[in-house]
Amino acid sequence: MTKLLITEITRMGPAFCVIGLQREQEKIQSIRPVPAFTNGWKNFPHQRGDILECALVPFPGAKPHVEDRVSTRGFEKSSTLREAETVAFLRKAEMAQSLPDLFDCPVHENKKGSGLFAMPHEAKRSICGCETQNLRLELCANEFRATLALPSGEALRDLPVVDRDWRDFIEAALSPVRGANRAARLDRFLNSQFHYKIMSCPHHFIRLGLTRPFHDLCWLMLDTLFPLPKAEWLEEF
Amino acid sequence: MTRPSNTRSAEKDPLRRLVEECFQREAGLSVPIPDENTDLIETGILDSMGWVSFLRAVESASGGGEFGSSLSERSASFAAVLAALRSRGSVVTDVSQYEPAPNASKTVVPAILTGSSAAVGSRIVPSEEVDRAFGMPAGKLRSRAGIESLAYVAESENELTLAAKAAQEALRAAACGAQQLDWIVATSETHHDYPSLSAQLHSRLLVRENCGALDVGGACLGLLNALVFAQSLIGSGQARSVAVVTADVHSRTLTPGRVAGEFGGLFGDGASAFVLRSAAGNDSNEGYRLGEFLFGCAGQYATAIQVSDSKDGGLTVQFDGEALSRAAITRMEKVLASVELRSGIPRGSVGGFATHQPNPRLVALLAKQCGVSPRTFPPIAQVSGNLGSSTCGAALHETLRSASKQARHDRGPIFLASLGPGLLFGGGWLTPHEVRGAV
Repeated sequence: MTKLLITEITRMGPAFCVIGLQREQEKIQSIRPVPAFTNGWKNFPHQRGDILECALVPFPGAKPHVEDRVSTRGFEKSSTLREAETVAFLRKAEMAQSLPDLFDCPVHENKKGSGLFAMPHEAKRSICGCETQNLRLELCANEFRATLALPSGEALRDLPVVDRDWRDFIEAALSPVRGANRAARLDRFLNSQFHYKIMSCPHHFIRLGLTRPFHDLCWLMLDTLFPLPKAEWLEEF
Repeated sequence: MTRPSNTRSAEKDPLRRLVEECFQREAGLSVPIPDENTDLIETGILDSMGWVSFLRAVESASGGGEFGSSLSERSASFAAVLAALRSRGSVVTDVSQYEPAPNASKTVVPAILTGSSAAVGSRIVPSEEVDRAFGMPAGKLRSRAGIESLAYVAESENELTLAAKAAQEALRAAACGAQQLDWIVATSETHHDYPSLSAQLHSRLLVRENCGALDVGGACLGLLNALVFAQSLIGSGQARSVAVVTADVHSRTLTPGRVAGEFGGLFGDGASAFVLRSAAGNDSNEGYRLGEFLFGCAGQYATAIQVSDSKDGGLTVQFDGEALSRAAITRMEKVLASVELRSGIPRGSVGGFATHQPNPRLVALLAKQCGVSPRTFPPIAQVSGNLGSSTCGAALHETLRSASKQARHDRGPIFLASLGPGLLFGGGWLTPHEVRGAV
């Protein structure tokens, strides 16, 4: 049995992708439990910070998703950590200060338009944590995107935000029941209170991930953003 | 569902043309232009990454800022994008529409480039000699970077002397007296002294005391920064004649022992100068009209090149040559594509590309990537080395000089593109200008 601290729950189309931290000897490393026949979970009833007991076996997945492990039985929750404690563990796992260190490979610019990608055969991993000097979330048409500055001073633009809780929050903010001008109100929130709430939070932390190869490219995305959004924030705008 | 591109409506409507071209760059030429109301995501023509990428390309090419959430309650269609562009008055136009509107209450006065010049250090040093000075194998700069020789200043030369020489030549070419200048806008990546370069030039050229003097930064992008500032002064009516001057002397800063030869060996010394005049006056019958400029900063390349002073008075250079080369090619290609889109001028009809030239190999690669002849890029770096902010200037001067040998009706537009650490980027274009009725 393996004890896994759930740190990432991301939305990938109709499914969820889950990543957790596993302690192996003195090392804390990211592990991605996957069902036997797909890459994502149709239903994942747990939350970030949950510590789950599970049975995982190595899975010869395609690079760079070297963290994949097949889950051979259900998850059993044993306890839950608070956000700040979860982030403390994330800070002890894979970390990077600069763009090439994120996945231990060069990161390329999309020549046709926006976005950044890594080559599957070059990337050594598919998930990494980092501190940010600044972070901006925005809506580009209907799409939720992040732009951030790494400690190295490098800026990353137009990263799709796939964090389940943040996407749920944005959907709730744009729900028709919230009345008129909701997109503009959300924009204002993201550019004002949001910035303060996120950047002033002592456990502000992000994890960046790579998509599975799509047309032979793995695109960068914002997997996780701490702090997670609170439902009461919706009352503020 | 679909219709062929380049329909008559697209030919008439520059916004539609721009949207269609951005779409084809994202989706590929084999994908037919969809019907105006087709939802590009729902129909699977673009995925969400492609949709955002397409929107970013439209934002960049239209110069109208970000769409933000303005499209969030609309379909992912051409109709929605066109409506958003029209509602905020995108700046995109066709070059044919640059004639000032006669009834406009506030007309932006075009700036005309009427004279140019360039100067390089008087010591021409074979690249093998530079290889040896930096402790590199002889032939490395030639074989790896394509540099045949470098122009270095002589003992008596510096940024000021090169800049003054270029400026005086440019004034002569423009038939413009120094006392007619309203502003001197200078840029240099190596002159860090005070009085600044523009102030020293002010005195050296003996311009009027009330002629303004300003230094702008941007390193290799400095020329474009200076040109857009000069254009703004003229466009707003605050100046009628502006001298834009660049000067860079690397050979006294990037010396053996201070920096690695793979970096320091690429650079030479040079200057360039341009006289810009208002089209509102009768000061110029011919020249090149400045089109629009676009600028930005690709921060993901911020660490590819970093230069800073160290405590011991030395120079700390962080230079990831491979990353910088990749960034330079990708970014310049993107800038030129944006210039092509925004100007409506096909790259195949461009008379010359006055771009930054990090080294000749990258210039050849850029030409190949852009699908244009390498002969349309003047060989500045090949014979003089990378001249910093003066590379683009020397290339522009050389392109203008070549054009001046052609019949007026054969002269083509010129595209500008450059980069600076950051990674700053910028581009623009110039079109032949002739006052109607002038001989």
